[in-house]
Amino acid sequence: MSIKIRMRGKVKGDVAEVKALIKHKMESGARMNKKTGKPYPAEFIDVVDVSINGTKAVDAQWSGAVSANPYMGVMMKAAKGDEVTLSLKDNTGATGSQTIKLR
Amino acid sequence: MKRRSFLKGTLATGAAAVAVNASLLTPSTVLADWNKKAFNAKAPEDALNAAFGMSNATASSDIDLGAPAIAENGAVTPIKVDATKMAGVESIAILASKNPFPFVCEYSFSGPALGYVSTRIKMGETQNVVAIVKAGGKLYKAEQEVKVTIGGCGG
Repeated sequence: MSIKIRMRGKVKGDVAEVKALIKHKMESGARMNKKTGKPYPAEFIDVVDVSINGTKAVDAQWSGAVSANPYMGVMMKAAKGDEVTLSLKDNTGATGSQTIKLR
Repeated sequence: MKRRSFLKGTLATGAAAVAVNASLLTPSTVLADWNKKAFNAKAPEDALNAAFGMSNATASSDIDLGAPAIAENGAVTPIKVDATKMAGVESIAILASKNPFPFVCEYSFSGPALGYVSTRIKMGETQNVVAIVKAGGKLYKAEQEVKVTIGGCGG
């Protein structure tokens, strides 16, 4: 199952701000299911990579303490038309990837 | 580690498996390992030691930590860390000092990336948010208290 990512990137001068909104429940593993008394199993995105034109720029590691449906904004040196790719995976092995052209 | 990604590759089907095996020599396509020790640490100092190999951070006014004074919903606390004024920023980590597991997230930068991150985190109770910036082999920090009216962990 692939994880859904919405991404947008805009260049101002020689710097681009890339924003991504990811659809994921980010279950930390600590929240209790009141009916069964057992915790909901952990399910969260743990590794996120951002690269520009194939060059690695940001390499992020998350815990279950990042909010559900995570938002992430990063900045990098870039020009219009550059291709930015975001790829990620969660602790259950689900992956997602999205590539956009900077405007 | 290589063996693990090899096994993963063989589990995948057909052409995909071949592609993963072929990419073993160019690890750029394989996502980095998760720093389990840092994320499972229960004290902020232990987490920093596990993540950076040191825990003494100097307070710096060059870090612009944007966090709300009062978070109405602790499950979604917007946090912004802007260290673009500093030179040689290698990574930024965000810690919530009183969360059960304080180490929330870590971003490392390379090549064209600037030292800037904005994200949203969960906070269990009123506490300090700490932004740790590693620049030039040293740790710098900025702290701000965030009052939480509804907790975001467990419950």
